[in-house]
Parts: sequence; structure tokens; C-alpha cells
Amino acid sequence: MRVFSPVIVTPSGAAPAVRKHSPMRRLAFSLAAFPSLAARLLACAWVFAPAAAFAAAPAAKLEFNRDVRPILSENCFHCHGQDANHREGRLRLDDAANATLDRGGYAVIVPGQPDDSELIARLISTDEEDRMPPAKSNKHLTAEQIETLRRWIAEGAEYQSHWAFSPPQRAPLPEVRTASWPRAPIDRFVLARLEREGLSPRPEAAPAAWLRRVSFDLVGLPPSPADRAAFLADVDRRGEAAYGAAVDRLLASPHFGESLALDWLDAARYADSHGFNNDSTRTMWRWRDWVIEAFNRNLPYNTFVTEQLAGDLLPSPTLEQRIATGFGRNHVINSEGGIIDEEYRVEYVADRVRTLSTAWLGLTFECARCHDHKFDPISQRDYFSLFAFLNNVPEFGEDGRVANAVPMIPAPTTAQQIAFADQERRLAELEAAVGRARASLPPRSAATDRTLRSLLAQAGATVGHLGPDLLPARTASSPPGITGPAWRTAPDVPLDAVPSVPPEALNFAGKQGLSVSFWIRPDTDNPRDVPLLSAMDYSGSKDDTTFGRGSEVRLIDGEIELRLSERYPTYALIARTKEARLHAGDWRHVTVTYAGGRRAAGVRIFVDGHERATEVFHDGLPAEHGRKPYRLGADNAPGGARWRGSLDSLRSVPRALDAAEVRQRFLAEALPLALASAAGGAPEGAPVEAWRSEGLLLARADSRAAVEAHDQVWGEHLALHRAVPTTMVMVELPQPRQAYVLTRGAYDARAEPVGPGVPEALLAPWPAGAPRNRLGLAQWLTQPNHPLTSRVVVNRFWTQLFGTGIVKTLEDFGYQSEWPSHPELLDWLARNFVDGGWDVKALFRGIVLSATYRQSSSASPEAFARDPENRLLARGPRLRLPAELLRDQALAVSGLLTPAIGGPSVFPYQPEKLYAGLVVGADYPGTKWEQSQGPDLHRRSLYTFWKRTVPHPAMLTFDAPDREFCTVRRSRTNTPLQALTLWNETGYVEAARQLGARLLREAGPSDEARVAYGFVLATGREPDATERGVLARAFARFRAEFAAQPGEARALLAVGDTPADPSLDPAEFAAAATVAGMILNLDETLTKN
Amino acid sequence: MSCHRYESLHTRRDFLAKTGLGLGTAALAQLLGRDAFAALPTAPSPLTGGLPGLPHFAPTAKRVICLFQSGGPSHLDLFDDKPVLRQRFNEDLPDSVRRGQRITGMVASQSRLAVQPSRFAFQPGGRSGTMISDLLPYTRGIVDDICLVRSMHTEAINHDPAITFFQSGSQQPGRPSMGAWIDYGLGRLSDNLPSFVVFVSVNKKAAGQGLLSRLWGSGFLPSRHQGVQFRGAGEPVLYLGDAPGISRERRRLFLDGVAELNRHHLEASGDPEIETRIAQYEMAYRMQRSVPDLMDLSGESAATLGSYGPDVNEPGSFARNCLLARRLAERGVRFVQLYHRDWDHHGSLNDRLPDLARDVDQASAALVKDLKQRGMLDETLVIWGGEFGRTPYAQGEASLEKYGRDHHGRAFSLWMAGGGIKSGITHGSTDDFGFNVAEKPVHIHDLQATILHCLGIDHTRLTFRFQGRQYRLTDVHGEVVQPLLV
Repeated sequence: MRVFSPVIVTPSGAAPAVRKHSPMRRLAFSLAAFPSLAARLLACAWVFAPAAAFAAAPAAKLEFNRDVRPILSENCFHCHGQDANHREGRLRLDDAANATLDRGGYAVIVPGQPDDSELIARLISTDEEDRMPPAKSNKHLTAEQIETLRRWIAEGAEYQSHWAFSPPQRAPLPEVRTASWPRAPIDRFVLARLEREGLSPRPEAAPAAWLRRVSFDLVGLPPSPADRAAFLADVDRRGEAAYGAAVDRLLASPHFGESLALDWLDAARYADSHGFNNDSTRTMWRWRDWVIEAFNRNLPYNTFVTEQLAGDLLPSPTLEQRIATGFGRNHVINSEGGIIDEEYRVEYVADRVRTLSTAWLGLTFECARCHDHKFDPISQRDYFSLFAFLNNVPEFGEDGRVANAVPMIPAPTTAQQIAFADQERRLAELEAAVGRARASLPPRSAATDRTLRSLLAQAGATVGHLGPDLLPARTASSPPGITGPAWRTAPDVPLDAVPSVPPEALNFAGKQGLSVSFWIRPDTDNPRDVPLLSAMDYSGSKDDTTFGRGSEVRLIDGEIELRLSERYPTYALIARTKEARLHAGDWRHVTVTYAGGRRAAGVRIFVDGHERATEVFHDGLPAEHGRKPYRLGADNAPGGARWRGSLDSLRSVPRALDAAEVRQRFLAEALPLALASAAGGAPEGAPVEAWRSEGLLLARADSRAAVEAHDQVWGEHLALHRAVPTTMVMVELPQPRQAYVLTRGAYDARAEPVGPGVPEALLAPWPAGAPRNRLGLAQWLTQPNHPLTSRVVVNRFWTQLFGTGIVKTLEDFGYQSEWPSHPELLDWLARNFVDGGWDVKALFRGIVLSATYRQSSSASPEAFARDPENRLLARGPRLRLPAELLRDQALAVSGLLTPAIGGPSVFPYQPEKLYAGLVVGADYPGTKWEQSQGPDLHRRSLYTFWKRTVPHPAMLTFDAPDREFCTVRRSRTNTPLQALTLWNETGYVEAARQLGARLLREAGPSDEARVAYGFVLATGREPDATERGVLARAFARFRAEFAAQPGEARALLAVGDTPADPSLDPAEFAAAATVAGMILNLDETLTKN
Repeated sequence: MSCHRYESLHTRRDFLAKTGLGLGTAALAQLLGRDAFAALPTAPSPLTGGLPGLPHFAPTAKRVICLFQSGGPSHLDLFDDKPVLRQRFNEDLPDSVRRGQRITGMVASQSRLAVQPSRFAFQPGGRSGTMISDLLPYTRGIVDDICLVRSMHTEAINHDPAITFFQSGSQQPGRPSMGAWIDYGLGRLSDNLPSFVVFVSVNKKAAGQGLLSRLWGSGFLPSRHQGVQFRGAGEPVLYLGDAPGISRERRRLFLDGVAELNRHHLEASGDPEIETRIAQYEMAYRMQRSVPDLMDLSGESAATLGSYGPDVNEPGSFARNCLLARRLAERGVRFVQLYHRDWDHHGSLNDRLPDLARDVDQASAALVKDLKQRGMLDETLVIWGGEFGRTPYAQGEASLEKYGRDHHGRAFSLWMAGGGIKSGITHGSTDDFGFNVAEKPVHIHDLQATILHCLGIDHTRLTFRFQGRQYRLTDVHGEVVQPLLV
């Protein structure tokens, strides 16, 4: 569902490609051509040309960077620039020495002599053959542009290095005539420019208007009536100090982090699904919450960059620092069967390069993937040198069909971490209690044997229905096992002679679940990773879509691992015990239970009757595959390892046993040996004393209580472990992958190898001693004199407040970027930001308290026409709220908002059947929208589940991107679909209804008082008499209508899950809801004024 | 409309664009000397948007209807009869044919690639005698009205990148879709309908591959150029219907009040964006009438309805969407994009392909005939095809009964009709196995260049500046396929 073109071209979204350079002069030209239209235009007062805001004042000397480079870059550098492979005539117009070179009696540029410069001659030549740019290039210079070049040559043809590639310098604050206006240093820069243009700033906005503006900017929510009243009273009392106090309150709010996160989530392409056509769910909200928290605790921006780029490489990284690296994994991941793994792995690395360069460098680095950059001095080798830093993740091209893709880590929330700590403390106490009980057990006697026999009888009663031993028949030479002779593997038998267990006996594919138990005694000479029961297919190529399909149980480093797999290891469930420590020589009892459902949370592994903690390596099983026999102690991997040791009593039952049942089963098999006399001969390696203790602990009432108390907490502990979300992270391969220049950027066209590196000569030197990895890269990016990092981010923060950047091309600070509206201001902000410790909150505080920001946003139509994008800042910002804040505001003013911070994404109202015909036909997670219930219906919009292929339609309609790749600039359109959404989307209708209820319950009894109350809530100001009148008349009219048609009133009030207040009169209520809807639809409400 | 009318408006539009200003509808209407709020116009007229200087030359098509068959229909079982496959059933595909070209991971581990003939018969159709499979009898019936291209080829071998490539000219997400480019370039013809409309048909059986809203997205173009999905079931456009209890009169009252307050605020604020909002609210109100009118088929004759086949009575069916596409074309919509899914027949192609063919054959042909009958075919470009074809070797075992085929981008078929495309011809051919293009290859970028050409657009000159460079639908490739043009 997308927006379509409106009748109107909005100022903010006006066709950008055709409006450049100096529209003022073009208008004059056009007006001359259409005198009658011109007259009508002038009569239509607000139709006016935009400011030629960035052309030099006529008298000033031309500047290469500002006036000349954009013309050359757009029209000439493509063939006469830095790309040596496509350079024509050995001419570089980007290089002074080359351009002024004596070419045998002539030069392309002769400083001071435009008429002797070949450049000008070629530009104005009437000969098709000679004229530049050539016709086939579709490029054309205007007469005005040629004149600029001529004048520049006449003035001496001075080149400048590109402004954005030199470190920002703090310029002295400019002198201004109206010295009383500036409140902050930034105001001096703004005012100086205004005075140069002959403009003056607008008066300060009313305090309430400023408060609403700054509230949206800092916390993304409108001020509550109480906030507003308190602020106005404080202004009366303290004047200016009230402003600072209000800002401090907002900066301290936990909603500040949410508000700042919004733009960063676009840049970091955060989403809750993997993208591409399977587009199933991923879990990255721990990363999203890290971002919110980072802004809330005012993490210095250089640390913000470092932790996201290389948190894992910091010394002893914390969990939070590792979570931060999810930034590098937010890219789309393809799980379409049959794709070529390396092709997509390369795409993911390329996406990291694009994101890093767009979001932090403000450069279009990816242009250099296929060839040297056409405009900026970035070679293809530079591209792949940067690529080499991000190329060392142990990841797969095809992954993420039903869950997170590797590498990932468990990422307990703060609450879970606290609970773990508490459980661990209690477990330590309870273990000590069990230990004391064990120490006080009596020595073996007839009495203790009687006790154990009675326990055995109980246990035996519960295991009678379990299946038969599935192991092959023993031979006369078999050593003793637990329940009889043990079964021994014979390591040298050929694979096709390895005995097997029929698949139906160990069916992991059934819905009913499965439990498998066995006794095991490993020999001492086992390899570290051996199969015990393997029905997996490891034959053939790892690129094959059926590689690693099936199920198996393995012994790895003394731990039991269960693998259920569609394609190992990406589409698999892989869970392994922690600290079970199955040593060589010991008999141990193992039970694996699986509840079905294809989730690791359904797997539990017990050793000697005790459940063990497990580590989940992957939890991405799309389907179970279990129709193959299980080889005993062998798999079919080429050269695969063989298990060596004894097994006994392999049994299964087609359901998941619970912990008590598993323990009974263990006791039923272990206790007979524990009760046998020493002479009866427990097999070698059977720890009968330990089993006896175990039995007695359980048989005696006092110690049993201690054991049960411990097991209770242990069970909770393991359950909490299973509930911990995972998050995808960056991990560095022990041995970096060799990176190559890829010809034309193609994954399979490797040219020369490259190592990790950055364009040092162009931008900044590699920091002395920095490691050549992502951490070093972060240090390089955040060095105080890096020319781009600080400029790029302060420009983006500026845009969040004013709508347009000081550099309008937020994503491109290269040669093709737009000249800054206030270059010295940008540098001042950047310098101050870095020198002040990259303090984000201080930056915002400084700007929102400035006179520039505090201006009224109203202006004459002429002023809007002259400068539609407000580049000159002769007025305050006035911008339609972004998609998220529109809804958040409706929730806030209606009282519906659930202000909770963070957590899994939620599912607010969405049209039924939105996914019909769109989502993949398979039953993957994320193919259904299961609407949230209760408070989660009304969470802030940044928590709305973001499905990349079908994002929430209300978000897209209001210009949210689809988050498939890094976006740092949203368009801001104004379309009819937006109107339909605001009128009829369930959430907005419900919000209007609840706002209506507030009018009736909280405002005075008159219609005028009621509408005024709602008006203030939504717009932050008191309505005037006209406004009150229009709304009050509508109220009365709607009341009469709904009174005549009570069924319609009830129908309106029934929209949405929140119950309508039954104590309110339906006609009155429906009328109030409709008027509230009008208030929520006012342009002023939808706009940050 | 004639090209002349395009031009006469262009001078005004150029002028407006060159002022660099967004104009409110009211202001635009004032300049154009007409009332933009007037009732639904019966004849489309170019209204707004679009770039100065476009179209670059006289168009042969005013609009495009793209009947996209998602999943990769088998050219070898539908359009490209290969007797050699029958003769060499179950032999290994010769290396001289494959020439080491890459294949997907789904068949990479097969021990052999066994030649798989079609089990469906082909017959000649029309005066041209073009061979068409028995699965497409209706298409065979219009074969003299279409141009069959048997030499399509693409670069991707998996669905997502291949569909994205077809629709946006790039395998990677992020570029504007074809319809968005056209809306950006040519602007809108309708006052109360979007100019880029998308239908996704609801399959009767399996759903197939997922589709992605990026396929009709605007990429880096302003988001107002996105396609608008019209839905077969439920509300035709999301949020179109007023909330329960809000009658038309109440909505009018609501809107009048909001407009009055917005105008009042405009006086205080001065921001022309407010004027725009007032106008957009009015357009939304008009859409609430015009879209249901569009979807209401009660005015269609029984003969017309019947020609599209019985499915036309099913909301959301491909057949119904075809008829709606014609109705949108009549109302000035420039680009109508239909999607029909589930052509991805890795196995049991023999069972599933006939179902899919039945889903779309009659209605696709009916649409062409219907347009022709109404004199609209000449100015409407119809395109029928998918993102790639299928392999001449079997996925799994070759069989004369039950078989499947893997994705194949090296060669496949697609047809076009109307809008300045020659009719009754076949363009290009494949080798004996249908594996490689033998003659006159048509790349996806060539197809895109040709579509734009029919609309009067030079594909090398429809560009948008993004991240420091000029982007276009065809990247740096694409040649207009001149032999296809009338």
C-alpha cells in the first residue's frame, strides 16, 4: 500500500531534478516569455520564486567550491575527473595543475584569460564536433553557468580543496547589526546571513508554541496540559530560566531516547523481519533498545559510533557493547532456497559499507563498488579496502528463514539479568543446603537399602510403559552395561555396515514430541566431536539446499548436542548442554526431550536425572525432517569422526517427559546397581556411591525438601534462560577473510587482493597504533579532526529540528553535495560538538534555546515563497510531523498512550487481510499479523512491528521508508491517502473517540469550553473566537444528527478495542468524538509549528 | 488525447515546474483556467506533476497494463516449443549448451541435468501460425494481436532479485519501480484516481512466493510516486470507507469545518502547505466516490463480463482484476500493474501449470480483445510475462508424466500487445534446448527502454539525482527494441 501522486507538487517534495542553481533568474526569463501568466502569478501573491538562496551576492568574488565545482562536477568530471579509466583527452578539470597545463600552445584554463581558455571556447562552440559537453551526454550548461566559469577564470581560476574534506575550523563569530537578537553563538551565524540578504528574523514564538515544538523535537510527544501550565507559570515567574529548565526536563525524560532513535533506526535500517520474499521475523529489538538507552544516558557520540561498529572488539566487551554491534547486522538477509551463498554474503558486506559511509561519512562510497567513483576521489580499491574491514563475520549468504541468522548471542534484558543474579544467589544457598544434607547421609545399611528399594519400586511403576531397548543385540564378548551387557561400537566397520535404529523409533518430526534416553560410557580415545545417533545427511556440497538435513545427537567436548535440521547449520535447531561434562570412562544417563514445535525452547536435556543448562547455537528450524534411519556412532560426513565407547538401554517415547519422569527413569535403571552388593559387580565406571546418595536424598523427607527447593529454582532458572531473546551481532573471524577488488562489483569476479584500509590522504590519517580492524576503523572515524564524522551528524541532528540540513544532501558531503547554507555555522557546531566531548544532549540544548529555533514559524506568503525550505532560517521550523509522531500524538492527547519503553515489537491495528496475496505461502514467523491485546495496542509507533516487505500502511503513507537499506532523508509528502488514513484508520478513529470522552469528562459544560479544551490539547494553544465557533457549531450539529440516529452513534463508538465509556450519552459522545476527529485533522495539529 | 494536447499543456507545465514551486490545486486550476474541484471528468486530461520536456517525443502508448506472472512461467511448456527436448528426453544437457553458466543451489548437487520435454502439445494459431501450447487456447486466439518475444533474458536466477530487477531495473532493493518512474516523468491524468495502481490476485490454491511492496515502491523518488494497491477483497483502497456512523453528509460537514479552520490558520501562518492539505482532503473525499464507482461492475454488459470468464465474478481474481485494469485505463490511470503468483513449479509442473494457465489465459486474452473493441488497444501497451523462465532440464528426475523445472534466466518468453507494438509477430528465438537465446536477445533493460519509448520517454533522459549521481530505470544499459515498434 503506497501513496500516489497528488494533484499538488508540494514545496518539500517538488521535482528536485529540475530545480537547481538559480531559479530566480530562470523565473525572470520565463515571466518574460509569458507576460499574461506573469501578471496572474504576481496577483496570486504567494506564488513566488524561491530564493536564489545560495548564489553569491553579485559583487563578491566567486568561490570555486561554492560556485564553480558544482557546475564542473555535474557536467564535466564524469569524463574529465579522477576516474582514470574513463578519462577523456588526458584532461582533469578537478585538478588545477592538469587543467592549466600547456598543451602545446594552448591550455584548457588560462587563469585570468577566459578568452584564451579552451574550456570556454569549447563550451560556446557552435560546432557540434567541438562543443562540450558532447550531445550524447545529455548534459547542457546554461548561459549563466558558462558566464560563471568565464568570470571565475577571469578572476584567476583559483581552485580550492573540497570544503568537506578538511577538518572543521571554528570561525570567529560574525559581526551582526542587531546585536540584541542573538541568544546563542549559532544565532550570530544565522543573523549575519539574514542581514546580508536584507532579511530580519521573525519574532519569538509564544512560550506555549515553543514548548510544543521543543517537546516534539526532544521527546516526540506533545506537552501535557499540566506540563504546559507549569511551564507558563514558570515563565511568568522566572522568565528565561524557565526555558532552560523545560529543556532539562525534556532531556532527562526516557522518551528523549525514543525520539532520537527514530531517525537512527532509518539510518541503521532497523526492522523486525529479514526482508526479501520470505521475510520472516528476526529479533533485533535488544539492539533497538540499546539505541534508546544510549541516547538516554547521553553516551558520547564517538562511543555511540565505536560500540556499534566494534563493541565486540573492545577489551572485555560487555553484553551491551556486543548488542550494540547489531548495527552491522541490521541489513536484509535472504533465505530464498537455491541462492548462491557467496553472492548474498558479499551483498551484506556491501550493505555495511553503504550504511557506514552514508550514515557516518556522508559519502556515496558504494558508487566505487563497480568502478572508481565518478565524482569523488574514491577508487574502487578504496571501496574494497573499506569492505575488507566488514568482511570478516562468520555468516552465511542464505540464512534467517525462520529466526535470527548467525552470529547471534543470547541477550537477556536488564530485568532478566537482575532475575538471573537473584536466582544464582538463591541457587548457591540451596545448593549449600543440599550439600549439607548429603554430607549428613548415613552410611550404607540394611535400613538405607530398604529405603532405596522402596524408592525403586515407586520409580519402576512409572517407567513400565517406556519403549524397548533399541540397541542391537549384544554378543557374548560384550562388557557389562547398566541393564545387562553394554553395546560397543566397532569403529572400523564401513559406513554401510554401521548398525542403525529405525526412524519411526526416534521420530522428531511428529507433533507429539519425543524423549530419547540412553546410558553412555565414552572411551578415552574419542575425538572431540562425535555422532551418537545420526540421521543427518552430510554428503555432498555445503551449498546444496539439502545439505545437513535430518536429526542427530552428538557428543561434543563432553557435552550432549541435539541437532534438528533442514539445512545445517542455518536452518537448524542446535542445542548443547553446558557443564554436563561426560567424561571418558564414566557411565552416565542421558535423556533428551523435545516438545515439538520446532523451537529450541522445546528442548531439554537431562544427565543422571538432572536437567542441564543448554546453549542454543541456532534456533531456526523451518521444518523437521526425520525419515531416515539413525546410524549408531557414525554419520555420513566425508571422513566423519566415529564414536568410541559403550551404550546401553536406548529407549524412546513419543512425547516429552517431564523432569520428574526423567528422574524416575534414571532411578529405575540406576538404583538396582546401587543396591547390588559390591560383589554383584557394578560395571566399571558406574558411580554407584553417588547414585545411592542421590536416592537417599530423595527418599528422606527432610533432604527431599532441600532437593525440591533447589530444583524448583533451578527449573525457573532454566526456563528464564529459554525465554532470553537472541540478537544478531558482529563477530570477527579468527582469521580474516581475504578481500579482493571485485571486478564490476560482482561477487565471483575477484581481481587483486586488498587489505583493510581507509582513504587516508583524502580524509584523515590512520591513528597511530590503531589495530587494522573495525575497532581501528572506529578510532579513525572518531578522531577529533576527522573532517566528516562530526559534520555529518550535527547536520543530521540539525535536520531533525529544522527539516532541512545546513547541507541539504545529508547523505552526500562529496563533490556532488549541495553547498551548505551556513558553512561557518556547520563547522562551528561540529567543532563545538567534538571539543565538548561529543555531547548530544548539550548540542540539542544549545540549539533549542537559540533565538533561531525560538522564532515564530508564521511568516508572510512572500517569505514562504522566497524560501520555501527555510534554508535562510528567517522563521521557525514548520513541518508536518513524521508518521510515528502523528500516531503517538493522537494516542497521547486521547489518553490512550502506553508509555512503556522498549521490549519486543508490538502489533497495533492493521487492516485485515493486508497480507493476503503478498506474503509467502509458507508458514514462517511473521506471515501473520496477530494483533496485540491490551496496553500493547497503544505503544509508541517506533515499537510497531516492522515487516520490511509489507510495512504498516499508515507508516508508508506518511513517508516512512521500508527500511531495506540505510535512509537518512525521508520525503515529506501531502497526499489524499494521508487524509483517508487520518479519517478512517481504526487507531485514529479510536483516538478521536477517546479524545471526545476527555472533552466531555474533563472540560467545562459548554460546547465552547469543550472544543477549546480539545483544541488546546492538540495544538498547544487556545483557539480564538472563530475557531471556537466553528467547532462548537459542528458539535451542536453532530449532536442533533446522532441523537436522531442513535444506531450510527453506537456504531461509531464501537470502533476500536478500548471500551467506550458507557456512562456517556451516546449521541453526545459520538458528536464529541467527531469534533475531536476534526481537531485531530487540523493542519496545525498535524504539524510541528 | 492527441500529442498536440500534451504539448500545449507542456508549455504551462514547464513554466510551473521552472518556478520551482509546489502549487496548490486551486492555484493550478486558476492558472489552467478550470476548476480542479469540478465533478469527475469523463475524459482524462493531463493534470499535474510530470517533468518539463516530457514526453520527449510523440508517444504511441498513453498507458501500460502489465500482467505480471510471478514465479517464472515455463516458456518451454507455454510459448517455446522445442521438439529436440522430446527427441533427447532424459539425456544429459550437453555442456556445449550450458557452457558453465551458473545454476541455482537447488539443482547444483544433482548428479545430472536431464533433458525434460514438455508433456503439453503445441498448435499453430492465427494467420501468423505462431506455435502456442494447448494450455493457452485463448492466448492462441489472439496471437495475431500480440507480439511474442521468445528471446528475453535476465541476470538474476532467484525470485526476489529477478522480480525486483524486472520492476526496478536493479536486483537490489532501493530503486524506484517502473510505474513510479512513469508517474514521476509524466505526471497524472486523473483528478481522482492515482496514476499507478497495483492489483495482486488472490490465488485459488497455493499462494506462492512472497511479493514485496517495494515492487511498486518509489525507491528514492518522493513517496507520492508509489503505486497504490487496489484490493479485491474488503476495501478497494485502504481506509477508503468512512468509519461506521460517519455518513457522506457528516464527512462533508466534518471536512467543511476542518477546511474553514485550516484556511483561518493559513491566514495566520502563511504556509502554503496548508492550502495543499485542504486540497488533498478534497481529493480524498472525491476518491471515496470515484473508487467505488470504478469497482462497481454493474454497468458492464453480460457479454463483456462473460468474455473474461467465470472468475470475473470473484473479487480478487485475476480475471476481475483484468477487467478493472481496463476500467482504470479508461479513467486515465497510466500504469496498471497486476500480479498473479504461483508459477514457481520446481516439481509437479505437469499438475500445477494447467491450473495457473486456466487462471489467467482467458482473461488476459479477453482484456486485449476488450481494449481492441473499444479502440483503446492502440494506445494501451499490454505486457504479459514473469521474471524468468524455467530450465529445459528437470529438477530431480526427468519424466514424461511428472516433472519439475528450476529457475532459468538465460532465455524465456513474454508477450506484448498494443501501444505501438507490432502485432502478429514473433521476435527472437532460443537454441534447440530453449536454454540460450539464439537470435535477437532482449534484456530486461531493453524491455524497460522499449516500454518507456512507447510512452514517449527516452530512457536515457528520464533521470533523478540521488546520492550525487543521476539514476535511471535502465541504469547505464538498455536499447529500445526497434523491430518491435510499429
